[in-house]
Order: sequence, then structure tokens, then C-alpha cells
Amino acid sequence: MSTLKLIDLHKRFGDVVAVQNINLEVADGEFLCILGPSGCGKSTALRMVAGFEEPSGGDILIDGASVVNLPANRRPSAMVFQKYTLWPHMRVFDNIAFGLKLRSLSKDAIARKVSDALALVGLPDYGRRFPNQLSGGEQQRIALARALVLEPKLLLLDEPFSNLDALLRVRLREELRRIQRQTRITAVFVTHDQEEALSLADRIAVMSKGRIEQIDKPSMIYAHPATLFVADFIGTMNLLPAAQAGDMLQVGQRQLPAGDAPQRHGAVTVAIRPEDFALAGGDMTAWHGQIEQVIDLGHYRKALVAVDGLPTLKVYLPKAREFSEGEPLALAATRYMIYHDGAAPQEVRPHVNGEALHLEAV
Amino acid sequence: MAEQSLPAALPAAAPARRSSGVTRFLRREGFGIVALVVLIVTIIGPLSTVFFWSFAEQWRYPALIPTEWGLSYWGETLSRADIRRALPTSIVLSIVVTLLSLVVCLPASYAFARMKFRGRQFFLLSFLITNAFPRFGIYIAIAIIFFRINLVGTFAGVVLIQLVNTLLLMIWIPTAAFQGVDRALEEAALDVGASRLRVFMQITLPMVMPALIAAVLLTFVGTFYETYGALLIGVPNVQTIPVIMFPLINNQPIPQPGAILSLVLFAPSLLLIIYANRLLRGGYLTAGFGV
Repeated sequence: MSTLKLIDLHKRFGDVVAVQNINLEVADGEFLCILGPSGCGKSTALRMVAGFEEPSGGDILIDGASVVNLPANRRPSAMVFQKYTLWPHMRVFDNIAFGLKLRSLSKDAIARKVSDALALVGLPDYGRRFPNQLSGGEQQRIALARALVLEPKLLLLDEPFSNLDALLRVRLREELRRIQRQTRITAVFVTHDQEEALSLADRIAVMSKGRIEQIDKPSMIYAHPATLFVADFIGTMNLLPAAQAGDMLQVGQRQLPAGDAPQRHGAVTVAIRPEDFALAGGDMTAWHGQIEQVIDLGHYRKALVAVDGLPTLKVYLPKAREFSEGEPLALAATRYMIYHDGAAPQEVRPHVNGEALHLEAV
Repeated sequence: MAEQSLPAALPAAAPARRSSGVTRFLRREGFGIVALVVLIVTIIGPLSTVFFWSFAEQWRYPALIPTEWGLSYWGETLSRADIRRALPTSIVLSIVVTLLSLVVCLPASYAFARMKFRGRQFFLLSFLITNAFPRFGIYIAIAIIFFRINLVGTFAGVVLIQLVNTLLLMIWIPTAAFQGVDRALEEAALDVGASRLRVFMQITLPMVMPALIAAVLLTFVGTFYETYGALLIGVPNVQTIPVIMFPLINNQPIPQPGAILSLVLFAPSLLLIIYANRLLRGGYLTAGFGV
């Protein structure tokens, strides 16, 4: 078991900078997700670790030893690709055994390791099949077995489930987590699917435009997005333009306290999660709006609320009470973050004595 | 329509159940039957005539099949001095041309498929261009050049002129096949520790093999049949089977020698057909192409 460390890793394709000076440490046995929109450089970063792209600069350490000068076939990492990459002319057994055969193991040892790997991914009797006889999900499980059978120091996964349908994706995600816990392998998982990242990772590195915006635990990423990009990208967020004047914020028709935010005058952005609203009591200053639409999402309801001078607010509503479209609503924020160019965001929890909506993040 | 009119046309005595069975059979298999008849008339008919003639000692007009069978014309034709010289020439020529174009084209097509270089499109298209002009004009131009450098009438000259034809096939088919191999499959093999050479030998090559074999067979057959180039460049020393077929057929009052040579020429394409059939049936094609 082992660690991964990226030091100032960067990659240029001609004039285009794909990855800018990434610094990252993955602890032994940790499951790290690199999350970002397509084109943010996350796959390029992973492919540099695997050895398929040559870094323009920086270093990659696996267990403290630099691997940048090693070709892909001599690096101690194994990868599961987004595409189905089982070799179509080989049976499942030979696909998994291919890497083992290069390591001059005895026939018995190979057979035992392959059958262990097949059992680990839950497809024990699949050895004699050809890849084109397998479903997409089965192919990706075999690809996982093919990577794990080599007992690599590092498991790399490049959006391995993104070609599968939603239900299967969730199932394989849970299975991958089980396998990772069981084997205690250090894993780096690249994805653009935040739900996948939030549910899989010990820590998430959110990337945008070649940079890492934030590295933290999933709960912290959700509760304390470090940048406006992360605030917008992770989960649902109301981003409201605001004007700060000293210790007060003007947001739409309403004034909010700026909390401990540095005193400044000018434009800032206030970010409020849909679950951080309360129905305002009569004595409170509140945003007065009207419910445009109620969307029933099963275990909770989301309302779009039109408020003068603000973008449409997304608010989670309790199921216990009826809300109808067109109904007027007075809303207060129970918790919000203030973002200002470059500065660390400031969390504010104003005192609200209205009817809290009591909504947990789902 | 057919369902309604056909039972009415059948004799009234025919039981209703059987007639509907016939209708269903015709509706299901009607196209197949028509196709079969067309095939028999247009392909198997003429071919069987050639086949019959080659074994016919005597075949007079009203008879549907030869009246006397025998192998005497086979012996006579195959023991002719010019044919005994031409047959090995044709076979050796086809093998040499096929191997040579394989040696030239396999690395070239891999480069076309996998590398980016200046003029890639241009070179790829240049192989097509020789086929866009009248073949005979090109042959004559080449013949003039070959005459100056003493390649006319030599085996090497004939090999070179055949390469003009085979390059297109042997570049384009493998290039397409190499392009069809997903790079991620090669990366996956690198990733588990295989060297570049091993990746090529054990992953890439097996996957392009069906296309490669098809290209080789097409090249072999094409060279075996090719007439004009061999005729122009080969004279008078190098004569292939198709080249000597012309005077043989024109100067002989009987059809048997022509028929026998046709069958000899047919042998390699028969192999090609058998192979293609096996390829399609065995699922090797689908497995190899990852379909």
C-alpha cells in the first residue's frame, strides 16, 4: 500500500494549458476523487500519473519515488478506463491473466489469482467468456479485476462508470467502494459526476480550468465551498449578487449582516443552499416572493421562488405542509457564504426567529 | 395480396390448411428462391459450362452435359511447354508480390493510421490516384521508362508493375484496420506492463489480422489474374498464365484448353471465398473487430 504525491505538475498542449501546477497528496489507502467539468484537465492529470501523457513540468512521486521518467508499462499503477478496453480477441481469463503472464508466475499461481480477482468483482464463472458476451457493467468489472489482479500500488480510475446507465452506475459505485475498503488500495478516481464523487471519496479535489480549486472531505466541500466555482459546481446553490457596505450586505430588497467578513465596500456574491432558508415571521425583514413552481422530488420538494431584484431562488420545502404555485412566501436565510474575489469565503449564520424549514441536506 | 389470390388459384380439392402453409412458405422464402434462381442462371450456369468443357472429350449440341468425359485435355494442356513455364511463374510472381507489398505496406499503413506527419493525406490519396487514371496509359508510360532502364522482359519489372496495383489495397485496408483498433486497448496493455513490441504483437496485430489476411488474399488473387501489366512489361521472357491464355484461346478451334486454364485461375479465388466464408461464420471477424 502506498502514497501518491503530485508536485507542481503541469501540462501544456501547444499554447493550451491543460493542467496548471497541481499539488496533491493522497495518503495510503485513501480514496481520492478528482471532480470537475469536462475539459478541466482532470483526465490529463490522471493520465500523467499513469504514464500516458508526459508532464510539461513537475514531479509525480509514488511511495516517495519519482516515476516521471518511467514509461507507462513500468509504473506501479493500474488503470480502469472510461471506454471498454477488454481485448476482444481474448477470453475474460486471458484478459485478466495478460499482465500476470508478463511477470513469469507459475500457471497455478496465475489461475488462482485470476479466480480470486473474478470472485472479488462478483463474476466468478466468467473466465471462459469473450468480452462481447458481457454487458457494459460486467466489462468494467472485469477491467477492474484486470487492474487489481496485479496488486498495483495505485489504482487509477478514469470515469469508469460514465458509459453505464444510472442504476448500474450506483450499484457499481457501491461495489467499488466495498472492494477498495476490502483491499485497502490507494485509489484516484476521476469523474465529472459530483454525486459519484460525494458518495465515493474520502476526499475530493475539485478542478476547474486546470487548477485545483479545493481539496477536502465531501461534507466540507458541500458545506464550505472554498471558491465561487466550487459553490456553484457542487450541489444546488443560490448565487445572489450583493453589495457590501461595511458590515452590512444589500441583497435584493433586504439587508443581511456581513458577519465577520472583512469590512469592504463593493460587489460581492452571497451563496445560499436551498435548505438554508426559513419562512420569515412578521417582524423580520425578509425577501417577499411568489412560488413559481413546486417540483416534487420524492423525498423532498423543491420550489422556484420569484423575488424582485434577485435571480429565481431555489428553496427546499418540507413535505409536511402544502405549498401551492402562486402562493406568496417570505423567506429568510439561516446560513450563507460571502464570496469576494480571491478572499476566503465568510460563513454567516444570522439569528432567525421565524419558522425554520428544518431541512437537512439530502 | 398474395395471401388472398394464391389459395384461390390452387385446385379446389387442396385442403385449406396445406394451401395456407404453401403461402406462408412462399411468402417467407420467396425472395430467397428468386435470388437462388438468379444466382444459378448467372453464376453457376456459366461456371458449370466451363467446368464441363474442361472434362469433355466430346460435347455435341443437343446434349445438356458432355457425351464423353475424360482428362486427356487436362494432360495435353498442362503438359504444354508454355504452360509448364507460366504456371510456376504466376505462382512465384504472386507470392513475391504479396510478400513484398506486405513488407512495404504493413509498416506504412501502421504509420498512416497511428502517426501524424506532413503530407499524410497526400500520400494516402496518391495510392488512389494511380487507380483514377486509365490503367493502360500508366502502364505504357511505365513501360517506356522500364524499357530505358532494361526492366522490360525481366521478372523484377513485372513485380514492380504489379506493385502499382497491389499498393492501394495493401495500404488502405490495413490502414483502416489499424485505425479501427482503439488506442485505449493498447494503453490498457501498456498499463499492465507489456512492452510496445508485445502490445503490437499480442493486441494490435491479432485485432487487425482478419483484415490483413483479406488484404493478402486479395493481393495474391489480383496479381495472379493481372494481365495487361504482365503482358506489356513481361514480353517476351516472362509469361504468366493469363498472358498465355489469350493466344491459346484465340488460336485454338476447341474450347477445352481455355476452360482448363480458367479453372486453374479460379483456384486462388475459390480459396479466398472459402476463407471469407469461414471468417464470417466463425465469428472471428466480429471478435477481432470488437463488434
